[in-house]
Amino acid sequence: MEQELADWLEDGYVASFRTACLILGNRADAEEAVQDAYLRAWRFRDSLSAVPSIRPWLYRVVVNACYSKLRREIPHRDRRAGDEPLHHVPAPGADPETSAAQGEVAETVLAALQQLPLSLRVPVVLRYYADLSERDIALAIGRRPGTVKSRLHEARRRLAADPALCALAGAGEGPRSGEAGS
Amino acid sequence: MTTLDDDRLAALFGRAGEAFDIPVTGPEDILERAAGRTTPDADADAEADAELTPSGLDQDDDAPQPQGRVRRLAGRAGRHRMLSVAACVVVLVALAGTVGALVRGPARPTLTAVARHGSLPAPGTPTTVPAFSSRGLATPDEKAAAPHAGAAPGAASGTTSTTTPENAQNNVAFGANQPPKIEQTGSLTLTVGRGKLSRTVTQLTALAGTYGGFVANSQTQSGAGPSGSVTLQVPVQNFATVLARAEALGKTSDVTTKATDVTGQYVDLQARITALEASRQQYLTIMAKATTVGDVLAVQEQIDSIQSQIEQLQGQLQLLTSQTSYSALAVTLGERAPAPAPGPLPESGLVRAWHTSIGGFVAGVEGLVRIAGPLLFALLLLGVALAGGRALWRRYQRHNL
Repeated sequence: MEQELADWLEDGYVASFRTACLILGNRADAEEAVQDAYLRAWRFRDSLSAVPSIRPWLYRVVVNACYSKLRREIPHRDRRAGDEPLHHVPAPGADPETSAAQGEVAETVLAALQQLPLSLRVPVVLRYYADLSERDIALAIGRRPGTVKSRLHEARRRLAADPALCALAGAGEGPRSGEAGS
Repeated sequence: MTTLDDDRLAALFGRAGEAFDIPVTGPEDILERAAGRTTPDADADAEADAELTPSGLDQDDDAPQPQGRVRRLAGRAGRHRMLSVAACVVVLVALAGTVGALVRGPARPTLTAVARHGSLPAPGTPTTVPAFSSRGLATPDEKAAAPHAGAAPGAASGTTSTTTPENAQNNVAFGANQPPKIEQTGSLTLTVGRGKLSRTVTQLTALAGTYGGFVANSQTQSGAGPSGSVTLQVPVQNFATVLARAEALGKTSDVTTKATDVTGQYVDLQARITALEASRQQYLTIMAKATTVGDVLAVQEQIDSIQSQIEQLQGQLQLLTSQTSYSALAVTLGERAPAPAPGPLPESGLVRAWHTSIGGFVAGVEGLVRIAGPLLFALLLLGVALAGGRALWRRYQRHNL
């Protein structure tokens, strides 16, 4: 079971980290939150046998770590170095034009997400970035599937009202190429 | 305006996520450290370290700095804030209770004095005296100090009992052969039934006689509210019994006993009398040797003066002996208040019904107001309990992950 969890944690690190980035809005907090979540998941690995599915369980740990970060630490501290909303490093060999466009997309999406309350931001990130089903999102955030459905609906409605996001979507985006679903 | 469907949103979110570069310290480092910390040797510290790890990336992973105990405790307190607050409240309540108990506790001053008389311990020799308490002679120490001064048993409400360490600085070093002299007094307020005042006075008189005492003073007043007072003088050893018997004669509303240690005063008088008698004996010897009338008259004048002082001191000694042999119990008597005179007859018919209706309405409003407070309090408690339970349940679920 330990090896299975270790494999899951390694495979899901990128998706967990970027999910935390989208929820928290900056990579420094996301890095700490994911580390905290992984340590917590490892500590409670004995309870893994009781969960029906490991993937929503892992996301639940990550989301709880993000909640803790938002509730306990971030409101009580000043902005520090590395807290910039987006710390974008172009991939080696990437086209500068493509890299700039990717940064613009990220900034627009983050700005739109930051306008959403946390109760809507978390489900929408889990749904459209982490590619979790509504049932898995319900397991991840500890709410009923009906609640998740209504929150996703409300989040979509609010995001559709964001002109910058709509303009970006209208500019013609290609299919997603992230490994979130992995 | 472009419609944001699921595919477009997923594509946008995917590209936004890709904009975040992956940290250098990947999952391998975290898992390696987590696995290393959970070895059997370090298992005890794993929980505390894991709780503090959110800021752990600021440290060098290759050379982790040791976490201080204070920091671990602070981390635990931060994570379990509700439990910390509850623990603080419990500690504060315990501290307040302890302080309150200490403040209200009986003062037990231990007195130390120096002997002043020749027959007593030498000057400068400290002598410890039994502690006197403002709560009477209830403790064994205090009973040892004043065995004749029994405290009033079965005191009713308003009972007070005091022992005054009068002249304690002087009397604490009395000789071992000198029994303590305690002057004890008490007062009692009794309420008896209507028409029973005289009979109670008679009973009190008989009570004093039964236990070897007498009535020192008696006074009664008749009229609308008959009352009276009786002062009993009873032997010290029977004081407690007489007090208890007197309390049984009516409804006791106030009992006060007071025991004053006058041993020092007693010893002082005795010593002064002894010294004066010695002086008188010296003068008598001188007078026997006097040859002239003038010398005889001068010595006689001194002897008369000394004799006067001796008699005065002996009188004081006898008074003190009497006061310590007999205790005074002052009983204040009163009859129960007569029942209130019946009011005017209620009106009949509609007026009475109207008054009954108004009374019922007022009673209903009073009842509503009366239960509003407890009901509100119960609702408040219920709300707090529900909120606390919900928070604990969510915390429990979160910790089980």
